Amino acid sequence: MKKRPAFVVTSSMHIPDGFLSTPVWATLDVVSAPAVAWVTRRAQRDTQDHRIPLLGVMGAFVFAAQMVNFPVGPGTSGHLVGGALLTVVLGPAAASLVLTAILVLQALIFQDGGVLALGANIFNMALAGVAAAYLSYRLWGQASRSGAIFAAGALSVMTSASFALGQLLISGVPMTGGVFWASLGLFVISALIEGAITVAAVRSIERLNPAWVSGLQPESSRTVTGVALAALLLVVLGTLIASVAPDGIQRLTAQGVDSTTWLQRTMGGLAGIAMIFALCYLGGKLKSRRRSA
Amino acid sequence: MHHLVIDRWSRGSSSLHQRDPRAKLATLLAFLIVLSTTRPAAQWAFAAYAILLIVAVNRARLPILGLAGRAALVLPFSATFALLTWWSGDSLRALALAEKSFLSGMAALLLVATTPLTGWTAALESWRVPRMLILVIQFVYRYLFVIAEQAQRMRWAALCRGSHKAGGFRLAAGLVGVLFARSWQRADGIYHAMLARGFRGRFVPAAPPPFRAADVLFFSACLAGCLAVRILL
Repeated sequence: MKKRPAFVVTSSMHIPDGFLSTPVWATLDVVSAPAVAWVTRRAQRDTQDHRIPLLGVMGAFVFAAQMVNFPVGPGTSGHLVGGALLTVVLGPAAASLVLTAILVLQALIFQDGGVLALGANIFNMALAGVAAAYLSYRLWGQASRSGAIFAAGALSVMTSASFALGQLLISGVPMTGGVFWASLGLFVISALIEGAITVAAVRSIERLNPAWVSGLQPESSRTVTGVALAALLLVVLGTLIASVAPDGIQRLTAQGVDSTTWLQRTMGGLAGIAMIFALCYLGGKLKSRRRSA
Repeated sequence: MHHLVIDRWSRGSSSLHQRDPRAKLATLLAFLIVLSTTRPAAQWAFAAYAILLIVAVNRARLPILGLAGRAALVLPFSATFALLTWWSGDSLRALALAEKSFLSGMAALLLVATTPLTGWTAALESWRVPRMLILVIQFVYRYLFVIAEQAQRMRWAALCRGSHKAGGFRLAAGLVGVLFARSWQRADGIYHAMLARGFRGRFVPAAPPPFRAADVLFFSACLAGCLAVRILL
């Protein structure tokens, strides 16, 4: 008999219904719906007919691959999450689409994540997670392929999990400092595991047929990619800071308003995040314009 | 297996099964929104929601315990956070967290247990969800268990060859690689089989059934019930 691992490190942060406050889930549903439409259009544009069954089967593959336990220490094992693997194999738009389909099925049929919280889960995993994986793969792909794939896996898990944690905190799910740091530590561990598993899985797929992983070539515009990745990571950090210490950002955005209702805290947090993102985006645009001029 | 049960349930013939998927999906969303905005202090309201759900399960002639058992899959996650909330001294809120997530899971299950996958995906499509996303959802669901069973067989085969002694990280990676290769080949085969059956790049959807008075009545009654509980209790 195979010994079951005593402890499985799992990093899937599917938020069920009932945890997010109404402004949080409603905002993320409103944000995710057009984003999914956009991603679908992009995927449709660069997908030939024969790829439609492929996308579906790849979704089923990720489900199944999550059942394979990777031993990572005595009595401990982890498993593939798969966002970064899909991004490297299928490209970002198709990967987002496949992950969205998986999340819809998980919410409705497998009770893994809520229906109202679907927008939040799609945002965390299918949009932000894939963006983090794609940007890191593009940014570091030329320097070191394995390193880039490792970073793609680790950063995608870290991004999704941190966003989920931030959204829970902004919604007012209470958490003591100890629990907060413990969960961040757990995220770091599972992020490192996901990075290692993604590298091993991509290597073993490439050994069978290198053509399968050529879907995404690292391109040259590294500055824009780097700025975009930095912006994304800053937003992640901003969400966490906003959720733990909302007062600081609130002071920045709404001067003198000395109320701590959760609506204002949420708004303060979101405004802070939007500000950081806008600054980084503008910076990236300016820089790329100067380069192309 | 899990999926077979829900598939079997969803092909029933009760009055709830016969309602239009669009009406059921709208009802689910209304129920979830009402539930999510209920205050933690309104504990009687949660009991009333549970009774509404039990009545609906009864009308659908589904086993209440089987549904509740599957909905309980959310509880490990909820219980963790409910405990944290409990420790921070807000026991009412802790209780509400667990209740809300359980009742939400139950409601979502009731939808998929009374509506076949083609039904609720058609409803989503009529609500302008992109067709490509719908297609991918259908393909993932169709091949989910095929690929999962293949993974299971490969795991047993590896165990038979002594993987528990030599096993390790690289072996698991090899397993994932081969599973990927087989999935890829299967997708190719599926595409060619579709071409052979006359697939020309798009599926022709069946005409949606008309939205009947009974569907309108069903949605209004459910909405009225939920709102009454939300406002009165």
